[in-house]
Amino acid sequence: MLIGLHQFAAALYLAAGVAGGVALAQRGGRARQVALLLLSAGAVVHLASFAFLHQSVPTPQLTDLPTATSLMACLAMLFYLAFARRARWNALVLAMAPVGFLGAFVGALRLPHAAGEGALAAGAWSHAHVLLASAGLGLLALASVAGVAFLREASRLKYKGRPQLSQLPALETLDRVNLVALSVGFPLLTLGMLTGMFWLQGEAGHVWSGSPHEIWMTLAWAIYGALLLARFAAHQSARNAALSAIGGFAFLLFAVIGIGLTA
Amino acid sequence: MKLLLAGMNHRSAPVEVRERFAVEDPGLALAKLTGCAEIEEAILVSTCNRVEVLVSTREPEAARLRLESFFRHDLARDGEVSAATLDECLYHFADGPAVRHVFRVAASVDSLVVGEPQILGQMKDAYRAAVEAGACGVILNRLMTRAFSTAKRVRRETAIAERPVSVARVAVDLARQVFERFEDKRAVLVGAGEMIELALEALRGEGLGHVRVVNRTRARAEELAERFDAEAHGLDQLDALLADADVVLTCIGGDEPIIRREAMLAALRVRRGRPIFVIDIGVPRNVDPAVNEIDDVYLFDLDDLSGVAEENAEERRRETVRAEAIVAEEQQNFQGWMTALQAVPTIRDLRDRADEIRDAELDRYLARLGLDTQQKEGVEQLARSIVNKVLHAPLSRLRSEAEREEGVAYLEVARTLFGLDGRAGEGDEALPENDDDDEPEPQ
Repeated sequence: MLIGLHQFAAALYLAAGVAGGVALAQRGGRARQVALLLLSAGAVVHLASFAFLHQSVPTPQLTDLPTATSLMACLAMLFYLAFARRARWNALVLAMAPVGFLGAFVGALRLPHAAGEGALAAGAWSHAHVLLASAGLGLLALASVAGVAFLREASRLKYKGRPQLSQLPALETLDRVNLVALSVGFPLLTLGMLTGMFWLQGEAGHVWSGSPHEIWMTLAWAIYGALLLARFAAHQSARNAALSAIGGFAFLLFAVIGIGLTA
Repeated sequence: MKLLLAGMNHRSAPVEVRERFAVEDPGLALAKLTGCAEIEEAILVSTCNRVEVLVSTREPEAARLRLESFFRHDLARDGEVSAATLDECLYHFADGPAVRHVFRVAASVDSLVVGEPQILGQMKDAYRAAVEAGACGVILNRLMTRAFSTAKRVRRETAIAERPVSVARVAVDLARQVFERFEDKRAVLVGAGEMIELALEALRGEGLGHVRVVNRTRARAEELAERFDAEAHGLDQLDALLADADVVLTCIGGDEPIIRREAMLAALRVRRGRPIFVIDIGVPRNVDPAVNEIDDVYLFDLDDLSGVAEENAEERRRETVRAEAIVAEEQQNFQGWMTALQAVPTIRDLRDRADEIRDAELDRYLARLGLDTQQKEGVEQLARSIVNKVLHAPLSRLRSEAEREEGVAYLEVARTLFGLDGRAGEGDEALPENDDDDEPEPQ
């Protein structure tokens, strides 16, 4: 059931991506609405699979890389859909659908084992850590997607690219989404790191083990803190903010996934 | 029933000819047309780019002559237009091509600026005037309704009206790609000429908030500012105003750029990263091209805007291929309906003919058989059932074939085979007596 729901979510995300491609070819219209509906359905099924996991194992193992990636993708989709509704961000469905697909697909490879591994000793802190950090990562992923879209649009306008190719929101909208995602994502990431410390305290009796994951995550957190400072205190330009969001997320991905893979 | 269309447009007639045929009171003109015996229904479309009359008629030749005369004598102003000029300018369409033309016009495929939205409203006005004048019947009502839905379909399914094609609209469209909304934005317009005015109108149409007009001659700036509820400033204040401007629009004379890179950099420092959208439609250019190299400044000159406008126009022209396919499909549907309409008299005549024969034969045989009431009812029901079953297949086939162009041949064959043409007064004699002789005598 769990794996079936994850696979179904991945299939819906994939279909949303295809519909998004058709919408791009047709320049919007009904195909984009279909893509958005499919993506919403995928996010609902994705979320349902985690609810099911929670029901079957009250404190399931979520800290392994594939499961955490899947949760992050699921939360990123939910944040995106909330933004898409408010900020007419639906043109980015083509960029978001593959993120959801990869998250659900990778999660489907691991979840049966995660479900079978049963409850964790530390319970609530590990849960809070994974949920908060994943939500933060999801939002920072969204900020970086907004950054990529901003740079593409800014470059097209600067160098007089074909307007027919543009279906993205206005630069002002992209910059605002970047700002909001960063402003909410960073505190969530901070809370995720703090709960991680409490988790470690409960497990090992100390808040800092000096593992590469902790070191790199702390560095990533510091970088994001500096970016926020540059954004709010130094009034960084929108283009630099977009570049920062992309660079910051690349670093964060390395800290979360890259270190996990090399360990 | 036939459809005829006569008219002239921006391609067939120059404006000096078209303006002589412009109609101010369509009701009066329609009354003249529908007063003629050969014209059943009529619609008159008169815009700055076209004057067209569409009629339905049972006498196409007479109606065509009447339409020519209508253009020459009733519509032409300032004296009669020569036959040669009228022949040169006037086009005629009948039936299918007339339907196609109406659908193309409504869908803005035939417009001077392909995809412009005004024509649909103008056609709706023309239709309303015809309805009010009592000049529209079943056929033109249906035709116009289909024309409007075709136009909507074309707009929905193609990009024919998506991209702007005027410089002012292109500027606004580009500004929309930078700013999400205009209500909270401030604009500085440099110059007070016609182009600035057009752009200002377009921007105000999008809800642009605060506007400042800057000009060398302050009096002209004040004049424009007064009309558009804006502020007027002299050119010497421009650099200071840039810091507070989200949109800058320039179109002013002079050999040297009036906005330089240094001034823009200074303005951006004050703006703390907020972008500036600059449109320079001056020739020679009013803004130093190096300004476009600065982050958060988006500069478009006249060539850029014209290039986009031309590209958009080309895109619209490409979309006409898809629009034409929709028009052709809708035309076929409408003509199917028109042809099916022709089947109605034949189907009715055939049914009447069969009922007459059945009733006559029942009268003839029931009198001889001496049946009681119940038996008579049974025989009558039997006869009705046989007639219905025999007619079911040919009538169904006639109905379905009638929706196609070739269906007319089926209708003609049916009328000939069943002797339906001129059958009034022929009664039962339309069927040969031999048929009766072959039947066995009732016992």
